[in-house]
Amino acid sequence: MREAISLKIHFGRLQRMPSGENFEMLMVRYQQGDFTAATILIDCISPRLHRFFVAQSMSRADADDLLQETWLRIHKVRHTYRPGQPAIPWFYAIARHIRVDHYRKTVRIAARERELEQLSKGASTTPHQAGAAGGLEALLAPLSLSQREVITMLKVEGMSLEEVARATSTTVGSVKQKVHRAYQKLRETMGGRPGK
Amino acid sequence: MNDEEINKALQAAAETPQHLDPLARERISEAIKSSLRPVRPLPPQWLMAAGLFLLCAAVSVAGAARAGFFGVAKMDGLERSLVFPVLILLMGLAAVGFVHQMVPASRIRVSPGALAALTMVALLAVFADLFRDYHTDDFISAGVACLAAGLLHAIPAGLLGWLLLRRGFAAKPVAAGLVAGTLAGLAGVGMLELHCPNFQAAHILVWHTAVLPVSAGLGALLGRVYAFRARAGGK
Repeated sequence: MREAISLKIHFGRLQRMPSGENFEMLMVRYQQGDFTAATILIDCISPRLHRFFVAQSMSRADADDLLQETWLRIHKVRHTYRPGQPAIPWFYAIARHIRVDHYRKTVRIAARERELEQLSKGASTTPHQAGAAGGLEALLAPLSLSQREVITMLKVEGMSLEEVARATSTTVGSVKQKVHRAYQKLRETMGGRPGK
Repeated sequence: MNDEEINKALQAAAETPQHLDPLARERISEAIKSSLRPVRPLPPQWLMAAGLFLLCAAVSVAGAARAGFFGVAKMDGLERSLVFPVLILLMGLAAVGFVHQMVPASRIRVSPGALAALTMVALLAVFADLFRDYHTDDFISAGVACLAAGLLHAIPAGLLGWLLLRRGFAAKPVAAGLVAGTLAGLAGVGMLELHCPNFQAAHILVWHTAVLPVSAGLGALLGRVYAFRARAGGK
C-alpha cells in the first residue's frame, strides 16, 4: 500500500517532467508484475489512445472497443518493451497495429455490405462516415489514414519526429514526407473554406 | 491558410477533452489483473541480431560442407575478399533489420523494401564486377538447380530465425516477412557462393541473385498470410 502511494506521489511529481521518463519507469514495474503501475499506465495512456482512435474517423463505440483490444495486446506483448527505450512510441506502435487490423476488417465488411445493399438497392453509408463528426475528425477528414495518424501523433499528441517514426515503424524521412503532403492537402482544403 | 494557422486549428481541436468511460478503464484493469505476473523482457537487440547472423551463417556453411566447398576453392584471393565480406555485411544488416521489425517501436534506419533492394543491387554489382566469363552452358538446368539449392537452404534459415525471435511482436507482419525472407535468402546465396563452381557471369547474376527476391517475396507472402489469419482468428 505504501509502495502504491509513493508511486502515485512520485508519478504526480514526474508528470511535469518529460513524459518518457515516468512511463518508462512504470513500464518496467508493469513488466515486474506491479498492478499499481499497470493501473496508472491505463489511466494516463488510455485517453491519448482513445483520442488517437477517434481521430482516425472512428465512432466512439469502435474507439472504446479498440482501446480495450489494444490494452489486451499490450498486456500480452509487454515483454517486448525494452527498458530504457521511450515507452510512448511503443504504446502507439501496438495501437497502430490494432487500428490497421480493424481498418482492414472494416473495409472487408463494408465491401460485403455494399454488395448486399446494391442487391437490395438501398442507400449506403460507409462506417467511416458514421464516425466523422467531431472537430479534430472533421479537420483531418481530407487526409489519408496514414497521414491522419502521423498528424495526430505529431501535432495533437506532441510526439517528436523520431517518436512518430518509431511508432509507425518507418524512417524519420518517411514521416517528414507524410507530414509535408498532409499539410499541403490541409492548406488546399482549408484555404478553400469560406471565411478562411 | 498558412502552416501556423493549421497548427492552431489542430491544437484547438485537440484541446477538446476526451471523455473516457470510467467503466471501460475498470474493465481493462480487471482484465489485466487476472493474468498479471512478472515477465522477462526480450534480450538486447545486438544479442538477437548476433544470434540471427550466426544462425544464417551456420546454415550456409553446413549446407556447403554437405555439398562440398567447390566454389570457395575455385575463387581467387580478390573474389574471396570481396564476395564474402559483402555477404557478411549484408547478412548483418538484414539480421539487425529483422530484429527491428520484431521489436515494436524500434528505430528503423532503412525501410524493409530499401533493404531488400540494396541487398540485391550490392550483390549484383559485386558479381558483375568479379565474374566476367560470358559463356552460357546449361543456363536453365544448372541455374534451376542452383536456385532450388539456394531456396532449400533459405527455408531452414528463415524458420530457425523465426524460432529465435518468436517472442517478438511484428507490428507490420508483411515488412517483417520481407526482411526475414531477405535474410534467409542471403543464407541461401552464401551457401551457393561457397559451393557452386560455375563462375559464368549470367549464371551467377541471374540464378544466384534470384534466390534473394524469391525468398523475400515468399517471406512477405507468409507475413501477409500470418496477418490475415491473425485477424480472422482475433474475431
